[in-house]
Amino acid sequence: MTMQAVSGPARVEGSEVAAAIPSGFSRRIRRWGLIFVAPTLLFLAIFKYGPMLWAIGLSFTSYDMVSQPQYIGLQNYRLLLENPVFRETLINTFVYVGASTAFMTMAGLGLALAINTRVPGARHCMTAIFLTNLMPIIAVCLVWRLLLHPYGLVNQLLAPLGVGRVDWLTNEATAMPAIVFVTVWRFAPYFMVVFLAALLALPDDYFEAAELDGAGVFRRFWHITLPLLMPTVFFVVVVSALLSARIFLMPFIMTGGGPGNATRVLSMLIYETGFSYMKMGQAAAISVVLFAIMLVFTTLQMRLFMRREQVYS
Amino acid sequence: MDNTESKLRVRGARSKGVSRRDALALIGAAGAAAVASPALGQASRVNLSFWTFENPQQRPWLHKRVRQYMEKNPNVNVEFQWFTFADLGKKISVGYATGTAPDGFVSQDWLMPTWQAKGLIAPLDIQKLGYNSYKDFSDDFPEAFLAGATKDGKVYGFPTWFYGFLNYLNTKHFASVGLDPERDAPLSWEKFGEVAKKLTIKEGNRFVRQGFKFAMHAPQWTMVQFNPILVGAGGSWFDASGKCTINNAAGVKAMKLRASIAKEYGAEDPAESIATNPLPQMDWLKERASMFWCHPIPPPAIQSQNTAMASEHYYRPVQYAGIDGKPGISTTYGFNLVINARAPAEKQAALHDLYKFIMSDAEDCWNDTQPFPIARKSGWTNNPKVQSFPQIAEILKARDQGVFLPRTPVYNELADAVHRAVQRVMLNGADIQATLNEAAAEVDRATANARG
Repeated sequence: MTMQAVSGPARVEGSEVAAAIPSGFSRRIRRWGLIFVAPTLLFLAIFKYGPMLWAIGLSFTSYDMVSQPQYIGLQNYRLLLENPVFRETLINTFVYVGASTAFMTMAGLGLALAINTRVPGARHCMTAIFLTNLMPIIAVCLVWRLLLHPYGLVNQLLAPLGVGRVDWLTNEATAMPAIVFVTVWRFAPYFMVVFLAALLALPDDYFEAAELDGAGVFRRFWHITLPLLMPTVFFVVVVSALLSARIFLMPFIMTGGGPGNATRVLSMLIYETGFSYMKMGQAAAISVVLFAIMLVFTTLQMRLFMRREQVYS
Repeated sequence: MDNTESKLRVRGARSKGVSRRDALALIGAAGAAAVASPALGQASRVNLSFWTFENPQQRPWLHKRVRQYMEKNPNVNVEFQWFTFADLGKKISVGYATGTAPDGFVSQDWLMPTWQAKGLIAPLDIQKLGYNSYKDFSDDFPEAFLAGATKDGKVYGFPTWFYGFLNYLNTKHFASVGLDPERDAPLSWEKFGEVAKKLTIKEGNRFVRQGFKFAMHAPQWTMVQFNPILVGAGGSWFDASGKCTINNAAGVKAMKLRASIAKEYGAEDPAESIATNPLPQMDWLKERASMFWCHPIPPPAIQSQNTAMASEHYYRPVQYAGIDGKPGISTTYGFNLVINARAPAEKQAALHDLYKFIMSDAEDCWNDTQPFPIARKSGWTNNPKVQSFPQIAEILKARDQGVFLPRTPVYNELADAVHRAVQRVMLNGADIQATLNEAAAEVDRATANARG
């Protein structure tokens, strides 16, 4: 450690405090900092990024979980492209993630706006609505499977309205919408709370000024509420999309991926390919595809929303 | 011992040339020996892990026999675990992948080729199981089952139970529509459809009672129920080269027959059937369906769900309906006791001994697990208790005349493809030929992939 290093020109350009700290001390601080974060980094490396990298590596192998993995290049990906079940499942996943994300966001926002009207009893309604979010997913699936049974309560309630029997979970046309509905029913209340927190944090000044200027409810929502909520919308969209992309239990329990292949999603196909057909390499390839899709989606969302935020700011 | 005495002894010891250090070393050695003694005692102790599937009769009996074996052989400890019927195969696969597979397990018949193809199960020493030769062994089991338990002249599984499916009739329902459950038991497909239609009760588009009900909730049940229709219609799953042939004329005919109960005779509600209960025979037990194809149903299972049906005994198992004038055949399957090929030799030897003991008391097995027939031919069917079981002749006939499930390393892929095809045809009205073409192509891709 020398005084020259401390009083060098580069240091002077930075903050005065930084310049006053001897460089040896600064190095020691950095070293200790690294030591303190090392356990976390190690944990992430071993239990998060390590398995991810291993899965990517595995996708280039033929691995039946018993013998040693054998490198086969891109063959797993080629086989996936040739497999109509994979293609159908991929489309199902896009439909499911897209619809679930859109409806979860809209339902969450709609519920939050309704609660935020501050009419009597709104808070109690919020509690009641949020209860669905506390139910275990497996219980939700089993209950809704019974409710959506051809002779279930939903059809019985619809019958007086002149709606004939609908085979909600056993018809190709209705099975996926039914699963999306149950997903929204289960998860939207969580996002309702997120939106409500954001709504309560909005400054009243804008709304008072707009009201004085004669802006109606819709215009206030469109020109003030929604732009100010954009960071929250971004959060909800990304989180709900990632949640939907990884969903497994809903289609697995409610329809088993059927009828035919109508509700099979990629997470189910990964499970079947890996643990039922013992093709871990191919299962890893599907998971890499799923990861890539979510990465692209999240990146696009980030860019889109960040650009909007810049416009509004 | 007081201090003085101990001092004297130490002195005495020293006087004989033994130092204090020597004495301490002796004490240390004695302590070490005391600590080590349990370990030494355990050197001959064998710890085995054993997995099976859950079943209200079979699992408790196996558990009982394992406990009895441990009582007789205190040096052997068996860690007995069980899983749901559908999960066992997957658990074992994951166990092999992670190095946690059990030393021995019960393998479902149709999974034997998967374990054999990958060298995961060890060939058994039949002499240690109580058979003098391979011929003695093979003569003691039905040929249909033996094909799954053996390969290239080697025995890989020690058969436990083996049974055929039967058509269970609700005789009260038969009587209520003027049918005689004996005379009118449907033995041809046409009659099967007509009887099912007659037994059906509908209110508008709602089925109050289904004449017959297929289980549509799981690929395994789809396979079990479609297999005899395919074989009965003259079809097969694969040709000699291993190509899937379910899309040929016989396969199409089989699927049309499968669909006819709902579409032609209107005796079944497939959209309701897909929501089959976890206990697939539940609708029959609860009298919401008049006929159901099922494995032999234990009386306690009937008693637990329908006491009137059990006490008044208004049910009857009969053989399946035949196709094209041929006698009806059903699916047979069974279970093998197998040994993990990676288990050490001493564990493999202990498992041979355990398996021999488990299956050595056929009468006890029958008492606890009736009416599940034991795979073995010898030493149990002549027992008066067996002979007095209602309709035992039908149960044994189904076992002996049945056709086994396809034995292929791509069984799970095949089952999933056929399950999807059946759902598409039954629920979405998909074209049968096109659907079966898709399924066959799917299976062929899996086969090609498996062959590398």
